[in-house]
Amino acid sequence: MSRRPEAGAGPAAALRPVPPAAGAPVAAAAAAARCIAILGNPNAGKSTLFNQLTGLRQKVGNYPGVTVEKKLGYCDLPSGRRAELTDLPGSYSLHPGSPDEVIVRDVLLGLQPDTPPPDLIVFVVDATHLDRHLYLALQVIDLGRPFLLALNMMDAAEEQGIRIDEEALAHLLGVPVIGISAARGTGLGRLRRLMDREVEPSTQRFRRRPPHVERVLQSLESRLPRHPLVPDRARGDLAMALLLDDGEDDALARVAPPHVLDDLQVLRRRLDAADPEWRAHEIEGRYERISEILARAVAAPGGARDRATQRIDRVLTHRVFGPAIFLVLMGAIFQSVFAWAQPAMDAIDLLVHQTGGLVGRLLPPGPLHSLVVDGVIAGVGTTVTFVPQIAVLFFFIALLEDSGYMARAAFIMDRLMAKVGLSGRAFIPLLSSFACAIPGIMATRTIDNRRDRLTTIIIAPFMSCSARLPVYAMLIGAFVPNRWVGFVTLPGITLFAMYFLGIVAAVSVAWLLKRTLLRGGKPLYVMELPPYRRPAWRSILLTVRDRSLLFLRKAGTVILGVSIVLWFLASYPRSGAETDALRTQLGAAQAAGDAAQAKVLEGDLAGATLRNSFAGQVGRALEPVIAPLGFDWRIGIGLVTSFAAREVMVSTMATVFNLGDADEAPVSLRRTLRTAVDPATGARAYTPLVGITLMVFFVLACQCMSTLAVARRETNSWRWPLFMLLMMNALAWAASFAVYQGGRFLGFG
Amino acid sequence: MTFEPEHPGMVERRLADLVPGESGVIAGISGDPAIARRLMELGLVPGTPVEVVRLAPLGDPVELRIRQIHLSIRRSEANRIRVTEA
Repeated sequence: MSRRPEAGAGPAAALRPVPPAAGAPVAAAAAAARCIAILGNPNAGKSTLFNQLTGLRQKVGNYPGVTVEKKLGYCDLPSGRRAELTDLPGSYSLHPGSPDEVIVRDVLLGLQPDTPPPDLIVFVVDATHLDRHLYLALQVIDLGRPFLLALNMMDAAEEQGIRIDEEALAHLLGVPVIGISAARGTGLGRLRRLMDREVEPSTQRFRRRPPHVERVLQSLESRLPRHPLVPDRARGDLAMALLLDDGEDDALARVAPPHVLDDLQVLRRRLDAADPEWRAHEIEGRYERISEILARAVAAPGGARDRATQRIDRVLTHRVFGPAIFLVLMGAIFQSVFAWAQPAMDAIDLLVHQTGGLVGRLLPPGPLHSLVVDGVIAGVGTTVTFVPQIAVLFFFIALLEDSGYMARAAFIMDRLMAKVGLSGRAFIPLLSSFACAIPGIMATRTIDNRRDRLTTIIIAPFMSCSARLPVYAMLIGAFVPNRWVGFVTLPGITLFAMYFLGIVAAVSVAWLLKRTLLRGGKPLYVMELPPYRRPAWRSILLTVRDRSLLFLRKAGTVILGVSIVLWFLASYPRSGAETDALRTQLGAAQAAGDAAQAKVLEGDLAGATLRNSFAGQVGRALEPVIAPLGFDWRIGIGLVTSFAAREVMVSTMATVFNLGDADEAPVSLRRTLRTAVDPATGARAYTPLVGITLMVFFVLACQCMSTLAVARRETNSWRWPLFMLLMMNALAWAASFAVYQGGRFLGFG
Repeated sequence: MTFEPEHPGMVERRLADLVPGESGVIAGISGDPAIARRLMELGLVPGTPVEVVRLAPLGDPVELRIRQIHLSIRRSEANRIRVTEA
């Protein structure tokens, strides 16, 4: 297996996931490149260091089977050797409290199948918060792997008057220690030289356990089979991990034979009976060691939180100003996702149109022309138009995270979100979903609790996105009279009601999910409020780039594929009695030079093709299902084609009614919808009640393949996207049924 | 390292009952052992001074200062943390 990145690989290739190492000889891989893991608490500046060391030579993927992000990068060491760097997720403890921390523990213990344990651990600590950050450091040193401590933010520590004796600290910990500032790039040359050296594991041990716990651990350890990747010294930690585990952990269950797992229950109960506080002793012991070490190596003035952070927080988390500033900021972000992305989206749209026109002129009219222009180029266009919104949203999210404000936003919103069982961090993804659920779902990565994250992903598409607006506009324009009611207009009230309905649905579904499918042990909401920092622009831009490329690669391919399928459904079969006759007439009109007549016939031909296409047949087949909602087969066709993107509904309706281009004829489309008749009965096909019902359907239905593709990418399985599709569409059907039948019962329509 | 029980004469309060600006010393954490362990790993070990810095605008969660780190926890958790006079 080669661990080198492809030379001269483009950005798409750089994102190729790492080939699994399972079965590959680990020693050979280590000889090819030095595996170095970067580890530390959240907010230690780990990712900034990773970005500094690797630059653009990074690739982002997922650990198999979980949604934890795997970040790999490369850097050259002074000796000319290449190092493969893994940016492990930020952690607080080796006894995991989140999926991220499970990965970290498994990688370090050698239990992660696709990632061999690192040759060297570069542990990053925030020098201004040494006592808390040393907790995990001491746990990891105890594992007995080569370890190097990088004291980050030394510049900030000096400003705060914290003096750290690096030599004394190195001596006490038994590991090399180096002061750096990842944000300013100081000390990185020395760090690189140290990373090049072979480092011996520390001979120190920092765990202290009372004898009765130690006895139990030793007996457990002796019963564990040897594992090739777990060093002998770490076997005690493996035993402790097993003892502390609540029983949901797959990796651990694999290393322990079943009879040992049974014994665990007995051992745990025995310990609980003898000493209810046994879990606490090791933790207390470690913090005592930290205090001893710091007393000998660090001189810090008391109460050293920087004054700037305290002053800023007095305003930003103030009872009144806090929420007010928060709302203004959110409004600005929302507006930017909407407005800033719009010119770029329009430009992409234009580019796609022009490319289509250009390629269209090169290809003779016919099936290939249609495939390339209406299938492939339009599909690529659909995918790429999401990128501006994703880029703008992630620019802000990275900015808020990097500066430290994100934690305050969650602090302010937590109480409100807790009412539906979510945490404060769910707010920004849900707000973003009003622009588009795609970036919204991608933004759920900041939610650390797995169940909360899934719930947020599932309810995000209920927020009325910008793609629904053209549909609402068409239906309101056609069916809702523009009349004043007090100081608002009827169309305004209707539009508001649709947005409100989406929110009500989201809240109800979240509430239900948290009590049924996604119920689980009460999660612990602990969040650090880190000091405010000047954002690192480079890191922010890297985040924007990563998110955009990931979307294009992982979700874009699915979206393109489905676009082509939908194009095929709407364009084939191409010939039939009606279309052939129209084609002949069109040819005649063109030959006669009658442009006006040709334009009408083109519209008729497009309509006839669509009505007779597979999509048309699906629309007819759907009719029995959607007739109770007041929808006919022509709306059925729109429900099929709008799966590509909801706004396609508008152009589909225009085509079905032979109007040609919807953009040119919004007024005639509205009139056509109002006056359309049912060919069978001659009665009016769509009453205002049908219009309202169709809007309700669009609020609730999951009609967006891109949402499903991105949910698949973010949850790493088709299970949840499939659940979304079925649940949302069932809900949409039921609600539309209630509205239509209820409305008829009350005498509307 | 000591394993003696907490000093018997001290009056224990709940962390959730402290008003912003008040401090105490952590005496212990009640309830679910997994959550108690997690809180301790984050630095809330018995014997550590803790200060309630402020409440969120809606009264929950609570911002704590412990080991020079600011943490936010919900009142439901703060209710299970026992503190004695600083």
